[in-house]
Amino acid sequence: MASAFCRSCLSRLPRASLLPPPTVPRTTTTATAAAATAGFHTSAAHYANPTKKSNSLDSGPKYRQAKSAKMKRKKPVERTRPPPIGERKALRNRIVLGNPNALEPTDMQNISVENMGDPRVRGSVVGLPVSMLEQLRSVHAFKKSQGWGLFRRPATFMRKEALEMGRLFEKISGEEQGKVVKKVITGKVGSGKSVFLTQAMAMGFLKNWVVFTVPETQELVNAHTGYAPLDDANPGLYVQNQATSQLLQRTFKANEKVLSGLKVSQEHPALKSLVKPGMTLAQLTGLGIKDQAVAWPIFQALWAELTSTSAPRPPVLVTVDGLSHWMQNSKYRTADFKPIHAHDLVFVRHFLSLLKPGVNGNSTLPNGGLLLYATSGSNSPRIYSFDVALKQLEATTSGINPKSPEFPQVDAYQSPDPRVIEAFTAPQPTSAKEGKLELQPLSGLTPEDTVGYMEFWAKSGLIRQYMNFRWVSQLWTKSSGGIIGELHRLAGRLRVPQRT
Amino acid sequence: MVFILGVNFPERNLVKKSLETFFGIGHNTSSRLLSRFYINPTCKVGELANKQVLDITAALSDMKIENDLRRQNLDDIKRLKETGAYRGRRHALGLPVRGQRTRTQIKTAVKLNRMERRL
Repeated sequence: MASAFCRSCLSRLPRASLLPPPTVPRTTTTATAAAATAGFHTSAAHYANPTKKSNSLDSGPKYRQAKSAKMKRKKPVERTRPPPIGERKALRNRIVLGNPNALEPTDMQNISVENMGDPRVRGSVVGLPVSMLEQLRSVHAFKKSQGWGLFRRPATFMRKEALEMGRLFEKISGEEQGKVVKKVITGKVGSGKSVFLTQAMAMGFLKNWVVFTVPETQELVNAHTGYAPLDDANPGLYVQNQATSQLLQRTFKANEKVLSGLKVSQEHPALKSLVKPGMTLAQLTGLGIKDQAVAWPIFQALWAELTSTSAPRPPVLVTVDGLSHWMQNSKYRTADFKPIHAHDLVFVRHFLSLLKPGVNGNSTLPNGGLLLYATSGSNSPRIYSFDVALKQLEATTSGINPKSPEFPQVDAYQSPDPRVIEAFTAPQPTSAKEGKLELQPLSGLTPEDTVGYMEFWAKSGLIRQYMNFRWVSQLWTKSSGGIIGELHRLAGRLRVPQRT
Repeated sequence: MVFILGVNFPERNLVKKSLETFFGIGHNTSSRLLSRFYINPTCKVGELANKQVLDITAALSDMKIENDLRRQNLDDIKRLKETGAYRGRRHALGLPVRGQRTRTQIKTAVKLNRMERRL
């Protein structure tokens, strides 16, 4: 056994050094390694400071003390200044209407008064006149997801339904003056409902109609604009001054030329101090834009002027996009915190009341016009009552008697909303010139139309392969039978040309 | 900047969030207040009409919020202590009041429950 004392200095060796040496092979090259495994003591180890107590955190949590665990405070993250108010939204909503890299098809016509009902333009793409783009932009005719930025300049495809609509515009402006046509437009996602409305707006501008649009129905019911009770005489009705003012602004910007040619012809007792005789309708609209508080009475006055028969007035086009948001409770609340039904907002109520026939033998639009209310395929809440109402409308459009057993009935167990059903069940109009509310479904393009549409792509220089009938027919099939939005998506994909 | 109940709020703030900065007003109370005066939930402080600001201030001054509510809270605890209730004792001992286990996780009680509780 080894001695407990060091032979050289006679100091007591620590117990550890008396243990047999470790089995690790010793290397003499590094002094530190030798010291760590040395069988003899070194004074450094002996006189080393006692080990520090570990931090209080390591010794386990302390209960019943306010500071049992210290959290490290995070360093504040340095933030850059946010962009100015409105800039991000403007960037998000920016719509690009052209692509300078695309070619312009040489034989492309512009839509005009002459060709809007011409059967020869069927199956071809017609451009929207550059002079009209500002008007179309101001009524929010273009949407971001419609891919306008792919082609040289905005152009739309003339399908069968668009030509029929063009002829309708010609008739209402010409031989069948005063005729009113009311349509609810339905169809799958991407079937071209919104662009159909854009085409209607373009035709309306060409024919010098007055165009009213509601591009986003959602904005009126999601409680993002101010609201107030209408007046004491009508409890339960609410007015949205800001939204009405915006509607007037859209209408003013787009129809300034038409409205400034029309003069006020009636007395408006609600606006005695504001409306002066001899004022143009453009000036009248301007009052509502300037002062939001009177926006609703001004809109009513404008509507009364446009539907009066005492002076010559142009026909009116009304388009509403995304109808289903108006068929349920809005996000607004009454004073006692009950939800407000969308039909109790006077703005919504006004536009839905147009679907009903006029009373006492009068037409809703005595000077003629077109009402186009489209549903949305992508942004639409699922509402049972609205689905049934549309089915019923489809049945009445195809001539099924409401009393027959084939007529779709409401399932009482689904708790249907009677106001929604009632909004679409219109009695027979009393005025001869007023049409009944119809449903117009939009489906896919025909294969022949698809060829015409894809030719436009080829002529714009956007397809990197030879276009043949086989390829187009493949596209037609893949796009579930010529759904134009799907065609756009498929054709716009980057492809590697096949080597043959 | 708009004064609501003596507090200055920047104009870009939401009215709803601004109301919720008061002790005693949460999501429910603020939503009900807004709908009482026909203010939409996304309304900013700067968009309020003068009358609406006055209405809100009047409604808030009738409510038991901020220090009044805190004081009431303390009074309730004090009453428990004075009657010698079990809950009062637990408050005084710095222990959880509502039957939680005390082996771990009672930091809140340790922090808040004490003889002289702060306002």
